[in-house]
Amino acid sequence: MSVLSPHLVDEIKALPARYPQPRSAVMPALDLAQEELGYLTPEAMSEVAVALQLDPGYVEGVATFYTLFHLSPIGKHRFYVCTNLSCMLRGAGDIVDHVKGAIGVKEAGEVSSDGLFSFEEVECLGACEFAPMMRLDHTYHYDLTAEKIDAMVAERRNRPLHIRGEGQGEGLKPAKPRKKKSG
Amino acid sequence: MAELRGSFGDAPNHVLTRWFGTPDLHKLSVYESTAGGYTALRKALLEMPPADIVGEVKKSGLRGRGGAGFATGTKWSFINRDAPGPKYVVVNADESEPGTTKDRYIIENSPHMFLEGVMIAAYAIGANQAWIYIRGEYDAPYRMLVEAIAEARDKGYLGPKPMGKDYPLDIQLYRGHGAYICGEETALLESLEGKRAQPRSRPPFPAVKGAWGRPTLLNNVETLATVPWIVQNGGAAYAKFGTEKSPGTRLLSVSGNVRKPGVYEVELGKSFRHVIMELAGGPPEGRKVKVFWPGGSSAPVLPESMLDTNTDMEALAAARSMGGSGGVIVMDDSHCVVRAAYRLLQFYAHESCGKCTPCRVGGNWAVRTYERILANEGSAVELGILERVADGLQNGRCLCGLGDAAGWVIDSTFRHFRDEYEDHALRHTCNVGAVLANA
Repeated sequence: MSVLSPHLVDEIKALPARYPQPRSAVMPALDLAQEELGYLTPEAMSEVAVALQLDPGYVEGVATFYTLFHLSPIGKHRFYVCTNLSCMLRGAGDIVDHVKGAIGVKEAGEVSSDGLFSFEEVECLGACEFAPMMRLDHTYHYDLTAEKIDAMVAERRNRPLHIRGEGQGEGLKPAKPRKKKSG
Repeated sequence: MAELRGSFGDAPNHVLTRWFGTPDLHKLSVYESTAGGYTALRKALLEMPPADIVGEVKKSGLRGRGGAGFATGTKWSFINRDAPGPKYVVVNADESEPGTTKDRYIIENSPHMFLEGVMIAAYAIGANQAWIYIRGEYDAPYRMLVEAIAEARDKGYLGPKPMGKDYPLDIQLYRGHGAYICGEETALLESLEGKRAQPRSRPPFPAVKGAWGRPTLLNNVETLATVPWIVQNGGAAYAKFGTEKSPGTRLLSVSGNVRKPGVYEVELGKSFRHVIMELAGGPPEGRKVKVFWPGGSSAPVLPESMLDTNTDMEALAAARSMGGSGGVIVMDDSHCVVRAAYRLLQFYAHESCGKCTPCRVGGNWAVRTYERILANEGSAVELGILERVADGLQNGRCLCGLGDAAGWVIDSTFRHFRDEYEDHALRHTCNVGAVLANA
């Protein structure tokens, strides 16, 4: 039983024609898969490989290189908080602590128990004049304060269930905290 | 769109930002009616032989605004326009050098100005297709470019006969996926070809064998956004700005501990004191500038005593730093230089693509050493390790500049703030605490 829907596989098969060489379609194809599933499972990467007539190991090699591909479950809403120098100098550390407290997680990569939120610390997002800043799902948020974060969290928690799935990865089950990488 | 923080409106030095702030400037109709948009493209296609366009860009003295500062016109002339087969323009919109926001500022304000520059470049070098590689996190700029390209297609500026000229032009977008290394031109090409983004060895250079094995011109967003003005007003007019060897203006993204962070258009040759203390309003009340990164986190740091260094590339080279990406990060005296260097080394270690051993191993080695020092477990041994690692990362031991940049962070903070390192490693104290206690 395939994990990607048939229409998505058709869409992926049509991608290579857009590029001078078909291999360029691998990242746009992984994007489509991730949009449908929330994160890239080994099965999903294999199916992308078959659709693009590439080796599954090759596709996984690409997916593991880039940080915007998620290889483990993520929340329906994802906080990507910049902690690089310009934001750090303007209080990003406090913002990180506040986000963790507000969504109830202890470390980066963890998903909140209701599956609604996850958070990551990310490198410079290129909006340093608005530091501290972050990306929440697909939108930048500027001049962050604890109050602004509380409002964003509350607003998403209070959305009626039927529209909660508006982020990526509808229907994700709450996931166990990801193990911290050793070393 | 978010509030404008930086330069906009009429001022003698506003080449790029003159029309920024105009309502709906991102729409093609407003760009044409208000800012005289697409007249440079019309002029280039209908009145200028391609060699003349390259000639004007050479005459302007424009140098790449991505980081390396290579002469743009010379780069254009490396492409053999008459060679058979496809050629490409690939735009580096993978802006991810810490502290750099100017390409986002340009795209969000005036996407058509940028696209017009891309089209002129494509025509000048004999390409029919351009690819814009934009970082994956730039959602809003991506959507703005999608809309702007659609408008240009509807109008016929992109298509089989732009401005009636029998010269097909097309622009495509390709989204990055969160890898700093893609700012390096050959890593970007690998990524565009659907691979892990690991730099290529050169030669062959992209001008000979670039995207998909074809001759390719790679330019930064700001570089190309400057081209319409040069075509419209002539290279000589542009060269009147700035210094002899670093002509023109450039956008400096000023961030960190300043009162008015923003993207400021500055005539090259103005001092960093002007940029940081005047344009950006200086440090917060009661604080002093301690150190600044003049061209993104990869540019070696300069201490407060060097605020009078000028912004042109020659002055920065003489100060043992560089203009880089134009990201000016300012840190005041309430922050610790060792801790800041540690944060940047974490960044470089994380973003190393893993291809070259010195960078793959050295970054992590430095991070672990900083961790010992900051945990008050350091000694003269740790300082020696940092110096050795810094040396190992630099001096062309890696295929690209990422390793060098990591080494420069250690090297330059050591050079100017050796006492802070010794406080931490030898005396297990941090002088920032003392500064704050006395404040």
